[in-house]
Amino acid sequence: MLELILGIALAASATYFVLLPILRPPLESAGALSGDQGEDPGDDMSPRAVALRALKEIEFDRATGKLSDSDYEQLKAKYTQEALVAMRGESGHGKRDTGHVTAPAVTFPVSRFPCPEHGDRPEPGALFCSECGRRLGTAPGYCARCGTALADDARYCNRCGARVAA
Amino acid sequence: MPLLGHLSLWVAFLVGLWGGITGFAGGAHRRDLQQSARHATFALFGALLVAVISLEIAIFRHDFSLEYVAAYTSRNLPTFYLWSALYAGQKGSLLFWATVLSLFAMLVQLMTSGRHRVYLPYVAAVTCAVATFFITVMLFAANPFERLAFVPLDGRGMNPQLQNPGMVFHPPMLYLGYISITIPFAFAIAALLSKRLDSDWLVAIRKWTLVSWLFLSIGLILGMWWAYVELGWGGYWAWDPVENAALLPWLVMTAFLHSVMIQEKRGMLKKWNLALIIGAWLLSIFGTFITRSGVIASVHSFTQSSVGYFFLAFLVLAAALSFALYASRLPLLEAEATLESMVSREASFLFNNLLLIGIAFSVLWGTLFPILSEAIKGTKITVGPPFFNQVNVPLGLALLAMTGIGPLIAWRRASIPNLKRQFAVPLTSGVFVLLILLVAGVRDVGALMAVSIGGFVFGTVAQEFARGARARHRQYGEPTPYAFVQLLARNRRRYGGYIVHVAIVLLFVAFAGMAFKTETEATLRPGESAELKGRDGHVYTFTHLGISQYNALNRQVTAALIDVRRDGKAIGRLRTEKRQHVDALGNPTFEPSTEVGIMSGLRVDLYVVLAGLVNGTEQAVFRFTINPLVWWVWFGGFVLVIGGLIVLWPGGAPVAVKGPSSQAGYAVKLEAER
Amino acid sequence: MTDGTRREFLIAVGAAFVSFRQTVQQSDSQTAGRVYDPQRAGRAQAPITAGDNDARIQAVEKKLRCSCGCGLDIYTCRTTDFQCTYSPGLHKEVLRLTGQGKTAQQVIDEFVAQYGQAALMAPPKRGFNLAGYFVPSIAIIVAAAVLLRVLRRWTREAAAVPVRAPVPPPPAATPEELERLQRELDRLDA
Repeated sequence: MLELILGIALAASATYFVLLPILRPPLESAGALSGDQGEDPGDDMSPRAVALRALKEIEFDRATGKLSDSDYEQLKAKYTQEALVAMRGESGHGKRDTGHVTAPAVTFPVSRFPCPEHGDRPEPGALFCSECGRRLGTAPGYCARCGTALADDARYCNRCGARVAA
Repeated sequence: MPLLGHLSLWVAFLVGLWGGITGFAGGAHRRDLQQSARHATFALFGALLVAVISLEIAIFRHDFSLEYVAAYTSRNLPTFYLWSALYAGQKGSLLFWATVLSLFAMLVQLMTSGRHRVYLPYVAAVTCAVATFFITVMLFAANPFERLAFVPLDGRGMNPQLQNPGMVFHPPMLYLGYISITIPFAFAIAALLSKRLDSDWLVAIRKWTLVSWLFLSIGLILGMWWAYVELGWGGYWAWDPVENAALLPWLVMTAFLHSVMIQEKRGMLKKWNLALIIGAWLLSIFGTFITRSGVIASVHSFTQSSVGYFFLAFLVLAAALSFALYASRLPLLEAEATLESMVSREASFLFNNLLLIGIAFSVLWGTLFPILSEAIKGTKITVGPPFFNQVNVPLGLALLAMTGIGPLIAWRRASIPNLKRQFAVPLTSGVFVLLILLVAGVRDVGALMAVSIGGFVFGTVAQEFARGARARHRQYGEPTPYAFVQLLARNRRRYGGYIVHVAIVLLFVAFAGMAFKTETEATLRPGESAELKGRDGHVYTFTHLGISQYNALNRQVTAALIDVRRDGKAIGRLRTEKRQHVDALGNPTFEPSTEVGIMSGLRVDLYVVLAGLVNGTEQAVFRFTINPLVWWVWFGGFVLVIGGLIVLWPGGAPVAVKGPSSQAGYAVKLEAER
Repeated sequence: MTDGTRREFLIAVGAAFVSFRQTVQQSDSQTAGRVYDPQRAGRAQAPITAGDNDARIQAVEKKLRCSCGCGLDIYTCRTTDFQCTYSPGLHKEVLRLTGQGKTAQQVIDEFVAQYGQAALMAPPKRGFNLAGYFVPSIAIIVAAAVLLRVLRRWTREAAAVPVRAPVPPPPAATPEELERLQRELDRLDA
């Protein structure tokens, strides 16, 4: 008898639980946008991530002697191009002319960036200003001292502690 | 609590049916139905868990009114084995199977996040449908809650061969592996149904495939261990149909885990990867069919029953449906495929796939050939170990070689000077090992090849670790030991994979050791001894000390004690037993079984079996076997699991900056470089 | 209580067995004592003879299948499943045939004549069985050929696209973009 009651209780609760979403339809937003938390960055299959990973990998392959320098340069140019295209596609939603970029040609790997206070730097490929130590070529949303990406409302850099310019 | 169990099976059946229907119907649009399917997986697990608990309660209460409890347990069965009685028989193992599947179905609903959520309704539908099939089989053909017309005083007890610790853990592990293949399969079907066939689904299932692969590996190794310590023929793999059935999905999943890397990097092989996952799952169902139908003679078979027809029908239906769906989506799976060079990692992965699938095919072919021969020619034939060894040993060696060659070849393109630089160390190490073996007097061709190729692979892995650590040292200035750790921690997939490769080498070397086993049979009176020369150069002396008989909980034991000496120096004692299992009334159940005495060492295992007594006296017949390198099989299995866990461990990959929006879709346009 | 009945039962069985056996095997009991209850130890075994350990006979037996349904060869069955009633008989038959001066192949042929092809652990390489042996190898070779063709087509397609430019054109990009790319790459290292 007890078993029968338990069985009926089980059936009833299972039915109720399963039908609950239909009886009381869930709010559209609930749970739908729980986003990307907890995901392995290695799982990001966006073109940008794929190209960036490929760039890292050829660098490592060259370091471990698997790629010759000429192959490396060639592949690097190729994946850099892909990464740039993807980055533009993502950031500039408006301009969808992803294929060909008409910006002035710049030679890779690094070019000079001017310091906002001290102007053009004499050293080619400098990352920091040799006069004030400021990180060169920083963009809004990145720490001016170390380059870490910042949250929108951050007032201090989470990595080096530098104050974020208002 | 048979009634509750029976009721909960029905509840599970209806809930599963509902989940299957709402999941498919809800698809991409009906949010309420989608949620309902999601809830159905939870309710399914709940109901099945209640059924499992009711069955275990009945087992522990010795409720012999249940046919299943009476058939597989007895009052004097040790408590430890009362737990494993749940999957000792056909019906219980079906329940166990369905429950674990529903557990996975629930976990995948809970653990899948982000972009992969779009697949979840379909995943719920597929898992519910498969679970419902198993519940259907139980309800209509093999109900674990079936009652007997009368209540026997005692049950028949558990087969003595199943009363072994290995048997408590081996089936669940193997089942976990078998069952969890359903999850990648469900994702593949979900991707096909939702037409979201970019590379996202790969990411969603890669980890689940790895989980499944890992469980299946553990199950296979434990199965080998059980066969070795319990069955007493001194080996661990006999190409039995059931063993083959477990090996098949493992091979296909291994192929998938390699070829998936090409799709991730290059976007190629979409069709192939989908087919591999569907194939692996169908093979797991095929394995279940073989185990449970008795169509092929096997030592593992459950008793023959009508269950086989259910499985055959399900197998055919599932294969037809999934491949029809696959075919209908083929146009969506076109991908630009280009290859810079024939000598590249991509190409080597494809050849690795060819070998793995080739081995899988030849194992499947050998397993099915007796049926084929009987159907076509009408002649009964046996396809035993000689056949499988002949076909698979060369393929296995080629695969082992690929294990070492693959990692040496660069992605995209490898140049000649580059190859020279890569192959120098590993080839030297392989040749070095070969020379050592030749000098040591080894002449067995198979063993020579296995071990020297093993040396080559080991050289490859060592070189990869050394160069990787050196590269990190140069790039980031990390001290070398720290660079090693970082190498493993930062790049778990690659270096964990290399550790698995080392494990494969260990396994192959250990398998090769079996070519050097020596054995002899001897009749010994107490005090007499037999000598056996092992291939490790030592002479082992086994002295029969005497026979003792005594009663244990559920068995009457006849034990022989043997003194073991190596080159005249005592190294220990071995005990081998005959066990006559009895029921609570002292009546014998089952045939007497044999317990093997094993002394395991790094170089050889001493393996003693008591064959029986001569004329009821203490004069006994023994079989003494010296098995080289068996310990390394278990150690290799351990390393394999460690490597697999490293690959699987979450996190660790470098943290990428989150872009403003991570749009799904794959667009690695390789020729986009004008 | 159950223990008592069990003991009584066992003693009764043992005694019956002992009284039956004692007359037959006086000589053995002088050097090897009688055990309490031989029945517990499974089927009585015959002492091992030189033929049992003969490597040639074992080699023959490893090619022949035991007919008890175990799926094992005769040698493995008789040295593993000591309850099997078939394998000792089959072993004796192998011994008898070898004793008649037959070669290994003749013994095997004799078995095939008597029990059919199912007596062999691996089917003979003739007729339809050749399919059993060669279909996997042929399938693999054919698959390898197909794979090579596909690979060649892919490499040709890759070559058709002008990838092979010795020095690729430098990517056109603004300094800001390159800096951002470099930053993201640095981030991947962390």
